[in-house]
Amino acid sequence: MATKKQEREFEKERKRAVKARYERMKAEGLEKFFTPEQIRYNRNQRILGAVWPVFRGLIIFGLGFVIMYPLLFMLSTAFRPNTQMSDPSIVWLPKTLTLSNIKETAHVMKFDAWDWKKPLDNTILNTVVLNVVASVLQVITCSITGYGFARFKFKGRNLLFAVVLLMIIVPPQITTIPLYIQYAYFKIFGIIPLYTGNVDADGSKEMVSLINSGLTMYLPALFANGIKAGLFIYIFRQFFRGLPKELEDAAYLDGCGPFETYVKIMIPNAKTSFLTVFLFSIVWYWNDFYVSSSFFTQNNTVALMLKNLNATLTATLFNNQSISVRQIIVWLESGCLLSILPLLVMYTFLQKYFVEGVERSGLTGM
Amino acid sequence: MTINKNNSGNQAAPKKEKVSKIPYEKRKELYGYGFIALWAVGTIYFFIMPLVQSLIWSFHDTDVVVGGMQLKNPGIQNYYYAFRQDQNYVPALTNMIKNTLMNTPLIIVFSVFVAVILNQKFKGRTAARAIFFLPVIIATGPVIDIINGNMTTGGYSGGSEQFSTMFETNLVDDLLNFLGIYNISDRLTNIITVLTSDIMNLIWKCGIQIILFLSALQGIPYSAKEAASMEGATAWEYFWKITVPYISPMLIAALVYTIVDSFVDPQNDVMKLVLSQSKQWMFGKSAAFAWAYFVIVGILLAVIIAIVNKFVYYEVE
Repeated sequence: MATKKQEREFEKERKRAVKARYERMKAEGLEKFFTPEQIRYNRNQRILGAVWPVFRGLIIFGLGFVIMYPLLFMLSTAFRPNTQMSDPSIVWLPKTLTLSNIKETAHVMKFDAWDWKKPLDNTILNTVVLNVVASVLQVITCSITGYGFARFKFKGRNLLFAVVLLMIIVPPQITTIPLYIQYAYFKIFGIIPLYTGNVDADGSKEMVSLINSGLTMYLPALFANGIKAGLFIYIFRQFFRGLPKELEDAAYLDGCGPFETYVKIMIPNAKTSFLTVFLFSIVWYWNDFYVSSSFFTQNNTVALMLKNLNATLTATLFNNQSISVRQIIVWLESGCLLSILPLLVMYTFLQKYFVEGVERSGLTGM
Repeated sequence: MTINKNNSGNQAAPKKEKVSKIPYEKRKELYGYGFIALWAVGTIYFFIMPLVQSLIWSFHDTDVVVGGMQLKNPGIQNYYYAFRQDQNYVPALTNMIKNTLMNTPLIIVFSVFVAVILNQKFKGRTAARAIFFLPVIIATGPVIDIINGNMTTGGYSGGSEQFSTMFETNLVDDLLNFLGIYNISDRLTNIITVLTSDIMNLIWKCGIQIILFLSALQGIPYSAKEAASMEGATAWEYFWKITVPYISPMLIAALVYTIVDSFVDPQNDVMKLVLSQSKQWMFGKSAAFAWAYFVIVGILLAVIIAIVNKFVYYEVE
């Protein structure tokens, strides 16, 4: 096996040889070797080969700029003193840099709150705990479900899978309010009243309210119904369908039960897929503000803090005076920067799993 | 399992094998149910029940009481209200459908274009890919609202306005005038203006679709490429005769994703109406709004898929 470096050398050598041969042919007269159409085709290909990379570079640069623009703007404003916002001589580079915007925003968003008795008051820590627990639960249960759909034939499988597809296309806005009532008066088919032991006529006293508790995120995730669970089940099903069946047959012959096979054979084979789904799950939980704003009134996550940042900032920094966006923009952009920074760091290091993972795991088979 | 039986017949079994009486196929079916049991329970409680509940609400007047919801006056009055009385619902709905129908082809074409470019070999490809997929990470969060807000309200007198005017009416008009076309049609200019002024949002919505098409592009077998270049296909011919057929199966996935994505976006006008109704404690009306919307978009999706499916090329028949 040639190493990559050697392969590159070979490629160069091949190109040089082709070029030399072409030169020789040209010296003897191209008409001897090619038909006129071939000559024209070759010439066009050569011109295209020289021009296209330039155009491609321009296109990529332009579109890349459009995508990066908000981030660059964020960086430029987050470290800029507020007074320099209305200075017309400054477009990108501020004259002086400051950290005070970041510090003040971090304080308002409770990023720096720390109390040994209640560590979850810290927004970052609270969000990380919520996200990681929910994502881990979600990945485990969704993969089990996806495996069930991929490898077992049972009655009603297609119908049940249609429910999974329904989960993908039904917007959470339809189910949120009924869910809210289910959570606020939580009784799990009357099991909790049995547990607490005093069942009264309408059962209203024994209900437990889950609102503001992390359980509103963990419970759905535990039952493979968290945020975008339908999509994850779909991805896992596609992925497991792509693995060779012989793997399992071998495991069965060696005496593994189906669940043992799943844990010992399928999970190690699906590592990349697991990582990809886990990363996407983290991202979606981190960014979610709709579901969490419905079920949390006090339990603060980064996305909720950011969503309310404008109001909180106006209250704390400007005493509720009405102000224009221009006056508050440095703090808003600092807040944006602070809240996507963890995601950006994660993305920089694990970029290849976001991209290649999706390519290799399942979605391809749609 | 038959092997186990044979073994125990031939030699003295070291430990007693438990041979169950349920046949193997049947047992596998049961295991299948076992694997999806957790999801099934969860779906009934966290998905089906709320869904049915909201469907029931949409046919009633609702009152919030302790311990739940009081329902009265069954009937279709909420739907009647949505379509005949509410001033905002129908315009928002038509607007939303129009926007989706206009943006979806653009997003698809654009993502195919970018995917084809990112699939070529050039220096810095990894970095380019990283940048183009960045929106996937950020665009679902509240950050995008703030960014958009700052861009559109012109909170800042410098770059953002330069940026937004770069793509706006003037440029399009200037271009048309430059080509000698004056006021061909107001509507056409309007459409072009809407599209170009929103170019950032358009690009930011393409992340997942680019990934999908890229994966399809990498599935094109090398033999197809080789054959095409031997036959002397130009890049244009290659694109239409090789690339498009091979990525057409992914077209449906990308279409569904794009439409669903714009449909469940909490920022679109219909969703805002749904949420504002439920904020005013009008849960019946809110549910009716959402369900009517859901059914209409569902039908739209089904029609589009049925049409597109006719043009899709599947290699394995």
